[in-house]
Amino acid sequence: MTVVERRLTGVAASPGVALGHAVTSWDPEFVTLNYTLAPEDIESQVASLRESVEQSRRQLATMQGKLEQSVGGDSTTLIDAHLLILEDRMFVDRIVEKIREERINAEWAIQAVSNGILEAYDRVHDDYLRDRRGDLEDVVRRLLSHLRSYHPLTFDSLRYNSILVGHTILPLTLLELKSARLVGVVTETGGPLSHTGIIARSMNVPAVMGVTDVLPGLMSGELIIVDGDEGVVIRAPSEETLEDYRARVKEEVKTRRRRDRPTSAPCVTKDRISILLGSNINFKEEVDAAIANECEAVGLYRTEFDFYRDGSMPAEDRLVEDYSYVLSHAKTMWVNIRAVDAGMHGGLDGGTSAGARGLRFLLENRDLFKRQLRAIYRASVHGHARILLPFVSTLDELAEARQIDAEVRRLLTRGGIPFDDAVPMGVMIETPAAAQTCDLMASEADFMCLGTNDLIQYMFAVDRTDLASLQLYDPFHPAVLRVLKQVQSLVEPTGKPVVVCGELAADPYSAAVLLGLGYTRLSVNVGAYSRIKRMIRSVALGELRELAEALLKMRSRNRIEQRIRDTLAVGL
Amino acid sequence: MIDREVVIGHELGLHARVSAKLVQLSSRFESRIRISRTDRVGMAEADARSILSILLLAAACGTRVRVSADGSDEEQAVFAVCEYLEGRADPRSGTE
Repeated sequence: MTVVERRLTGVAASPGVALGHAVTSWDPEFVTLNYTLAPEDIESQVASLRESVEQSRRQLATMQGKLEQSVGGDSTTLIDAHLLILEDRMFVDRIVEKIREERINAEWAIQAVSNGILEAYDRVHDDYLRDRRGDLEDVVRRLLSHLRSYHPLTFDSLRYNSILVGHTILPLTLLELKSARLVGVVTETGGPLSHTGIIARSMNVPAVMGVTDVLPGLMSGELIIVDGDEGVVIRAPSEETLEDYRARVKEEVKTRRRRDRPTSAPCVTKDRISILLGSNINFKEEVDAAIANECEAVGLYRTEFDFYRDGSMPAEDRLVEDYSYVLSHAKTMWVNIRAVDAGMHGGLDGGTSAGARGLRFLLENRDLFKRQLRAIYRASVHGHARILLPFVSTLDELAEARQIDAEVRRLLTRGGIPFDDAVPMGVMIETPAAAQTCDLMASEADFMCLGTNDLIQYMFAVDRTDLASLQLYDPFHPAVLRVLKQVQSLVEPTGKPVVVCGELAADPYSAAVLLGLGYTRLSVNVGAYSRIKRMIRSVALGELRELAEALLKMRSRNRIEQRIRDTLAVGL
Repeated sequence: MIDREVVIGHELGLHARVSAKLVQLSSRFESRIRISRTDRVGMAEADARSILSILLLAAACGTRVRVSADGSDEEQAVFAVCEYLEGRADPRSGTE
C-alpha cells in the first residue's frame, strides 16, 4: 500500500512545530495512551482487560434488566448486540492476542482492533451498516472507561515525543499529562482562545485546533507533524517533509532557548521606564515556573482547574492547602487569586454560554463562593493574597460580593481564625459594560485586571469555539484600540492600578501597543514571560506612545497591523 | 458438512437486531456455522457466532447467502438458521 502525505488544515493555536507519535483520544474524558509493555506486565494487562470486559457486561446486563421491566420484550435486543460484541471472538480474543504478540497496552490494543473493524465497515458501501459503527464505538468507550479506572492517566505512561490528538481535549487532561514527553496537541474542535489553547501556549506546546476529521483512520503511534505556526497537521509525511521539519524543530529549540531564557535584568524600557510584568498561572504548581522566570507578581491565578481537580466540590481544607502553597511559594510577590470563573458543571469549555458566568455564577452559588473566600483568607497569612472577581458587569454585583465578603470575614473573626484583614479586592474588566464604567468600578474596587480575551469576544459578539466567527476576533481592529485607550484614560485619574492579563499582553506586538497606550502593568502566561520581558527591554516608551497615537487615527486594521510590524520589526 | 442457499427475508437485512438473534440462535448448536455471500460483495464469509463478522457481510434484504454447518447437529443447525434468515421463523416476536 502506498502512503501519500496528507496535510490537514486547522487553526494555529500555539506556536512552534513538533514531530511525534500520535496518541489518540476517543472521548474527551478518555485518552488512550499507547506504550509497549515490559514482559512481566503483559499478563496483568490481559487480566485488567478481561476484568473491564466483565464489568462492561455486568453494566449492560443491569441496564437490560431495567429496560425489560420498564419497556419489555424486544426493546433490549440492541443491548444484546453490545453484549454479543463483548463475547465476539473477532473482538476480545483478538485484543488479547494483540496485547501478547505486540506487547502493547490494553487501550492501544482495543483501539487497534476496533479501528481495523471500523475501517472494514467503511469499505462496505452501505449507509445502514456505516451507521452501525456506533454500536462498536459505544462498546469501546465502555471498555475504555472501565480500563481507565485501573490505569489512571499519568504523564510517565506517555511515550517520548507524544502528540495528543482528540475530538476535544479538556484543559484538565492537558494538565494531567503535562510533561516533557508531550510535544504537541491537535483537536478537531475548539480554537486558540479555548482554555485548552491557552494552556497549550502556557506550556509552550505547539497546538493546532479545529482540524476536522483528523481522527478517522489515525492510529495511535503514527508519526505525525504538528505545525502550530501555520495551523497544519501532516499525516504520513514524506522523507523530504520530515527532513524539513526536523531542521525546523532544531532551529526552534535554539531560538526558544535564547528567547525564553530567564533574564534577571530589570524590566525597564530603553528610556528607563519601569514596567511591572507579572505571570498568569493556571494551577498551583505553575507558581514555581513563575518564580523561575524571576517575575514580580502573579497577575492572574485561574483557580478553576485546581478547584475542580477531583471532579467534585472540594473541601475547604484542600483549597486552603492549594492557596497556601501558592502564597508561600510566591513569598513577597502578590498573587491575584481569581475566584472560580465557571458556568455550569465545571464550565471550562471556553465559555460559550455567558448566562451564569463569573461573578453571576458565584452570587447564585453562594456556598461555593463563601467556601473559596474563606479558604483564601485562611491561606492569606502565608503571603500577599489579593482577591479578584471574574466577569463583573454592574456595580450592584460588586456591592453584593462585598457584602458576602464582609460576612465571611466576620465569621472568621468570630471563630478566632487568623487571617489578613487587608486583602485587597479587585475586579476583572472583561465585559463591554465594565469597560464603559471602569471609572465607577475603580471607585468601588481596590484594583482592576483587564481581561482582553472576553472583552474582545463580547465586543464583536464572537463565539470563541466557533471557528467561522473566530476571524472576527481581531486585536488590531480600531474598536479594540479605542476601548483600550478609553479604559486607560478612565482609570488613570482614579489612581487605581490596572493590570492587563489577557492574551493580548502575551503577544510582543500587541503588548508593545499596550505600553504605548499607557498601560504599565502586564501579566502573561509563564511560557511568554521572557519573550515579553525582552520586548520591553528593547523598546523606548516615548516611541511607543507616538506609535499608539498614530494607530488611533487609522481606519484599516491591515494598515494598523502593518504599521505595528514595521515600527517594531527589531528584536521581537 | 452440509450447506444450503437462502435469500435474506428480513426487511432491513442483517442489521444489528437480526444479527444479534442470529448469533444467539447459532450458539445453541454444537456445529460450527458459517454464512457466505455468493455474490462476493462485502466480506466473503462470516462466523455465525460473531456478530461483528455478520454485520460485515452487509447483507440486505434479498441477498442470497450460503449457510454451511459442520458438526454433530449440522442438519438441524442449517435448517434453523435458514428458516430464520428467510424470515419465516417469525422475526417479530423474536422466537425462532
